[in-house]
Amino acid sequence: MTLSAFIEDVPSGIAGKVRASAGSEEQVLIQVATDMAGRASFGKRFLVVTDQRLLVLDSATDDVDIPLTQIERVRSDALIGGGCLEVELRDGAPVRVYYSNSLTPKFAEVAEGIGLLIQGEDPNLPLELDRTHCAQCSRLLPEKGGICPGCIRKRDTLKRLLSYMTPYKARALLLVGLTLVTALIELVPPYIAKHIIDDVLTENGDLGLLYLYVGLLFGLAVIRWIGNVVRRWLNTWVGFRAMADLRADLFRSMQFLPLRFYDKRKVGSLISRMNNDSDQVEGYLIFDAPFVLSNATMIVGILALLFYMNWQLTLYVLLPVPPILIGSSLIWNRLQGYWRRWSARWARLSTHLNESIGGIRVVKAFAQETREGERFDRRNHALRDVSVSAERSWLVFFMVTNFFMSFGAFFVWYFGGVQILDGQLKLGELMAFISYLWMLYQPLKWFGDFYSFMVRAFAGAERIFEVIDARSEPFEDPRATPIPHIRGHVHFRGAAFGYDPGKIVLRDIDLEVQPGEMIGLVGRSGVGKSTLINLITRFYDTSRGSVEIDGIDIQSLRLEDLRSQIGLVAQQSFLFNGTIAENIAYGKSNASFEEILRAARAANAHEFIIGKNDGYDMVVGEQGNKLSGGEKQRIAIARAILHDPKILILDEATSSLDTLTEKKIQEAITRLVAGRTTFAIAHRLSTLRSADRLVVLEAGKIAEVGTHEELMAREGIFYQLVQTQQATSAVMATEH
Amino acid sequence: MGSDNTQGETKSLNAITPITVTHPERVDIDALRLFREPAWVLRLTIEGDRSYTRIKIVRAAPLSHPDQYISFLDAKDEEICMIDSMDQVDEPARALIREELDRRYLTALIRHVTSIRNEFGTSYWDVETNRGQREFVVQNVAENAQWLGDHRLLIVDVDGNRFEIADLTALDKRSQAAVEQVL
Repeated sequence: MTLSAFIEDVPSGIAGKVRASAGSEEQVLIQVATDMAGRASFGKRFLVVTDQRLLVLDSATDDVDIPLTQIERVRSDALIGGGCLEVELRDGAPVRVYYSNSLTPKFAEVAEGIGLLIQGEDPNLPLELDRTHCAQCSRLLPEKGGICPGCIRKRDTLKRLLSYMTPYKARALLLVGLTLVTALIELVPPYIAKHIIDDVLTENGDLGLLYLYVGLLFGLAVIRWIGNVVRRWLNTWVGFRAMADLRADLFRSMQFLPLRFYDKRKVGSLISRMNNDSDQVEGYLIFDAPFVLSNATMIVGILALLFYMNWQLTLYVLLPVPPILIGSSLIWNRLQGYWRRWSARWARLSTHLNESIGGIRVVKAFAQETREGERFDRRNHALRDVSVSAERSWLVFFMVTNFFMSFGAFFVWYFGGVQILDGQLKLGELMAFISYLWMLYQPLKWFGDFYSFMVRAFAGAERIFEVIDARSEPFEDPRATPIPHIRGHVHFRGAAFGYDPGKIVLRDIDLEVQPGEMIGLVGRSGVGKSTLINLITRFYDTSRGSVEIDGIDIQSLRLEDLRSQIGLVAQQSFLFNGTIAENIAYGKSNASFEEILRAARAANAHEFIIGKNDGYDMVVGEQGNKLSGGEKQRIAIARAILHDPKILILDEATSSLDTLTEKKIQEAITRLVAGRTTFAIAHRLSTLRSADRLVVLEAGKIAEVGTHEELMAREGIFYQLVQTQQATSAVMATEH
Repeated sequence: MGSDNTQGETKSLNAITPITVTHPERVDIDALRLFREPAWVLRLTIEGDRSYTRIKIVRAAPLSHPDQYISFLDAKDEEICMIDSMDQVDEPARALIREELDRRYLTALIRHVTSIRNEFGTSYWDVETNRGQREFVVQNVAENAQWLGDHRLLIVDVDGNRFEIADLTALDKRSQAAVEQVL
């Protein structure tokens, strides 16, 4: 039998030790490194498993060498901030290999693999785990299998950003052209002023020439004005359109991302990608980038002109430039630190605000207004302090650069004055010089910022692109089998799953469900009932084994076909802010009002809906919060009825409701369930009486399967659960 | 929390609220025996009653009260009992508890910060800890660093590894400056 292997590179010393212990005829199946030397310290250690033995090696001498036959079992134990692979032996102290959290997924697989190996099966390890280091520069990646911020080339990001301009190419090019022209036009007036002073305002000045020059100045001012208006207009036109396109791309990608992506991220941080990151990119595209372009053009133009006019004087002009540049780059880091702190504190303040206003009822109920005020003050003062510090640094920087800039003016006045006295320079030239000097320093002062604006905007763009590029659910896989009409046969074959590779939630699930059958899922909370359902909807894929629908592996089915024929009624029914009718028709947007009515009647929702002032046109509010829990639930059931799913999932659909409402909902559900394959989870076991079969889960496995009566007769786990519930309700009844 | 400086009116709030706890059943701490038998199996025995192997020793409040409120869990993660303070058990048991806690909580204490590079909102740390040298990556430091006190800081890296700075002001000047750069 050839077995699959999972081998990492090891130093030659370790490889030598492996050969020395295992000899050449043994096949090395697992060879991995851990990042903890023992339980206490970081370091390197290696776990090697051949088809005969298990070795734990490090550079020290006390290596472990155990024949596989000695191993009782292997498990990975989650610790805080790391974990421990524990190899229990038939006899003697267990072998423990510690690892940090960075390696938890790997060792979870390894533990599972060794477990299979000692049972004589193929360890069946995945050949590739998510990369933790960048393949190019080997720096640690911020997210596993994610992008390396160091290796993203800014040029590529820029190119990609610019690609959002392509639909508006003509206007974008016009924009660039106009920007260059207006920037260059800015340079002309001082030059004309020079001519006015030197050629017109002399003893034998020519009034006609003055008309010409003033006319020219006026003409330029008009052109510049028109140019700027058109430029700004084009800029906003193109910029906002490109940004809207980018945001649309981002939103669409977010919709198609798998749930797994959302598990690992905070909703807030994703929303901030939409808000802050796109704001930054927008700001850059609309304000900063054009500013940079026109200022860069001006700087180059001014320098060229100055050198052309008088190169010696230009060198004096440039004297204060190095200190300004050095100063701004030095202060930049400091300022950025302040700004970062400022935004962090601002975020904390607004979180607090959000919380205490959102929870105002609780605040008042516990009479905590004063304390909330004190907490707010603390955060508010922290924000104030950092704002003051930031502003102070900024002011110092501003003053210092201005001081240096006036130095330039001193130089030019002095050396220019000397040159005029010597007759080498005319007054007009000197005046023009001084004008250009100020025009040059202004953009220079900002140049440090431009770079950082760019970096920040690009980082924002990268974060947006990261979401856009994240692998979405395979909605458009052309190889997928279309299944327009699901019959409703569901078959789990040895399915196993864990949200984290280290923690298996479900294992060895074998269950065949006939079309139209109703299955009740029973078990303690956290046993994996909801997880089992997540496998049917394919919110997650099994890690081992498979789920088949109508005899086809769920992973090869067209996802859209699958999901559009599954209906879900959950404990917390989520309604969107819209009318009741819109919410009922959510799964079937082309439904006629007749259909909506019928669905609502079937769901026992019609009565309460017509009791509302606006009836079916009532707006339900954010997340439906203008309706009661039972009302929301019935609308969710109507939604599911109209959606007409072949497979129906009821996740605690009747819990937390009063008896009367529950009865109504129970009725509605009975109508909904008819003729559909149904999986129902309920805590109150009595509500599952109508189920054809009950499946009892225990410790991630199927423990019992059968009808209510069969399971009661068996007196197993289900029997006990029922007993406990009856006992509790009896106690509650006597207490009342 | 320093809210106890508002005197007078809050006095009644500071009084201990009488709460009766009936569950879990009380375990007599004096009857608690913690030992290894054989050497690699940690056992918890309640003298004259029952015995557990495969126990877990956890801290109820690992950050605010690391050495108090130590809880013993059975193999199903259900609490067997809790001790409020280490003083309630004898020295050999205390040593065992410390050893188990040390094994379970892999938080590394940062002693020196060699460098922190900050790029695009992600910071790359190179530090010396009580467990040795280590490099790690923190995304969005402001979100993943938690102040546990005025100068105490807990940093969680991208993989969920934990690093603690017990007292920022006790670090050398360069380390402090580096940390302050990113926070």
